[in-house]
Amino acid sequence: MFVTLFVIITITFFLMHAVPGGPYDFEGQNLQPEIVALLQSKYHLNDPILKQYLDYLKGVITFDLGPSFYYSGRSVTEVISQGFPITAKLSALAIFLVIITSLPLGIVSALRRNRFADRLIMIFATIGRTIPAFVAGTLMIYYLAYKLRLFPIFGIGSLKHYILPAIALSLATISHLTRLIRASMLDVLNQDYIRTAKAKGLSGKRILLKHALKNASIPMVTVLGSRVASLLTGSFVIEQIFAMPGIGRYFTQAISNRDYPMIMGITIYFSLILLVCMLLVDILYGFIDPRAAVYSKKR
Amino acid sequence: MSETELKADDWESVQTENLLVAEDISGISLSYWQNVWRRFKKNKLSVLSFAFIVFLVLMAVFGPRLTKLSDSDQNRDYIHIPPQIDLYSVGSNTYIYLSPSMQLFIASRNGRLLGPAESLEDDIFTKQRVYQINGQQIIVNYRQKPAKVLYENESEVPLFRKKVWNKSFWFGTDAVGRDLFVRIIYGARVTIIIGFIASLMNLTVGVLYGGISGYLGGVADNIMMRIVDILRSIPRLLYVILLMVVFGSGLLTVVIVIGLVDWLGMARIVRGQVLSIKNREYVLAAKALGAKPKRILLRHLIPNAMGPIIIETAMNIPAAIFTEAFLSFVGLGVSAPQASWGTLANNALSGFMSFPYEMFFPAIAISLTVLAFNFLGDGLRDAIDPRFKE
Repeated sequence: MFVTLFVIITITFFLMHAVPGGPYDFEGQNLQPEIVALLQSKYHLNDPILKQYLDYLKGVITFDLGPSFYYSGRSVTEVISQGFPITAKLSALAIFLVIITSLPLGIVSALRRNRFADRLIMIFATIGRTIPAFVAGTLMIYYLAYKLRLFPIFGIGSLKHYILPAIALSLATISHLTRLIRASMLDVLNQDYIRTAKAKGLSGKRILLKHALKNASIPMVTVLGSRVASLLTGSFVIEQIFAMPGIGRYFTQAISNRDYPMIMGITIYFSLILLVCMLLVDILYGFIDPRAAVYSKKR
Repeated sequence: MSETELKADDWESVQTENLLVAEDISGISLSYWQNVWRRFKKNKLSVLSFAFIVFLVLMAVFGPRLTKLSDSDQNRDYIHIPPQIDLYSVGSNTYIYLSPSMQLFIASRNGRLLGPAESLEDDIFTKQRVYQINGQQIIVNYRQKPAKVLYENESEVPLFRKKVWNKSFWFGTDAVGRDLFVRIIYGARVTIIIGFIASLMNLTVGVLYGGISGYLGGVADNIMMRIVDILRSIPRLLYVILLMVVFGSGLLTVVIVIGLVDWLGMARIVRGQVLSIKNREYVLAAKALGAKPKRILLRHLIPNAMGPIIIETAMNIPAAIFTEAFLSFVGLGVSAPQASWGTLANNALSGFMSFPYEMFFPAIAISLTVLAFNFLGDGLRDAIDPRFKE
């Protein structure tokens, strides 16, 4: 994990420093050369690249990601800590939505295999997979918020503001997971121990919840970990559409403003969150599926 | 052994019916790929998707030649014209259309726009515009919503038909009067190029990297796969974005960037396949015959891993298309006068409340294409490896 993070920091740093043109070549801003020189020395841009790199590494460890080039007087860390609660709330709601919808949908569609309910759910899952999040988001703004006025159009005032963005954000993951849970449920339901449980005379509900679900949720946990990545990157667009001042929006703005420390900082921050999520999944995995833990110990 | 002589009536002619039955049971022997094709044909949805993709490719290649306009042709007279228009009749077989930006157009009965009407006067204080059509004056009054179309004597011009399909601009026009249909056809080019490059990278870099890694094994394999693992654990989209920032936006960059990052999954799959088949007897035989590693890899190992390779390629295309749409939507992808479906959707975003159709058509295009590629991928997977089928 630390190796990966190190690689990410290194790649990000050198990519950002390979960009031609300095951060102060904004259009229409004809700075005098003395001022540019002053700014460059203030932000240590004249240091040798290796020193800048080491300084940056040191900064990352102490959570100091440097000053923003665009928002003068604000540091990247400050902007991140301001935007993060919003993104976190949005992602958490999205993950919550994913779990409460895809789990029942997947189970129902596995139990009613090839019947009407299954077909319906699978059609939904297929459509959800093919509609880009930004399209789903705008369509929902248009119909639910603008035409029917059920939800506020944008902003972050109340929980209601988060519902539409969270739905738009989670749609792809919901359809992905629904399919996955259906497949793994079908697989589990054909196993011998389910037949044994039935033969013992256990109730259908008990078999489902105690025996089948636990085993069927193993692939779900794995995928959920890696889907956090798509949720986070999805939030770039969603926050843009719904005008929410989360990190994703700062990131897209930083891109158009060419605010390199901000781009670097947010990239590294996102990667860190992602790696932590993956690690959590790995740990959780050991709890749900003891076989995996034993196997990895043996290796 | 006593020799028995066979007479003519010892022989019995075989019933042709029985022969046919016997042949039926044994089945016509098919090669592997013939079998795959036979199974693939059974899946109607996949065949339909395949047909759609072929159609899309043809449109992308030849479509721009069929239209006179190019994707960057602007016509300032025709701004924000929707695909469905309401026609008013002003008599003597003349029809007019009032655009959302309060411009009057002369139209034909079936919804073809013939040209902007001749404007006499535009009074922004009383919010009235006066047009001259066939010698009579038509007044557009936009003080209230919806705007009124009046004769000179203040009586309303009768509505002829509502929601006539626009024959001049099938999908309407955008904020600077570009034909959306034409732009979507040009956008299909971008999408097809992206899909093609992504597959190409998968099939060359991904397959070779994975193949070499799997074939060499040992330390080399370990190092090569660790590199892939590390690259894979970096969130893909993030570093696509970083690369886009470094290289600057544009179609070429999108293609390069998607190509650069898209082969990792394939490398892993091919490596796994190669690992499982490289100890088979035919590989040993090839080695015994003195074949060089290059030949073994290219003639024996990779062709035998072709099934999973094709599946992975087909499954990867929609992801690449999504990435491009995403990048263009964020404003990093294909740049200005050029059109991609993501850019179109992005452009439509600002005027989305008033002109939803500008978002609708590119969105449909993206969704249908991704859907088609997904179904194609599913169909290929079921055809190539029937074990996957539930």
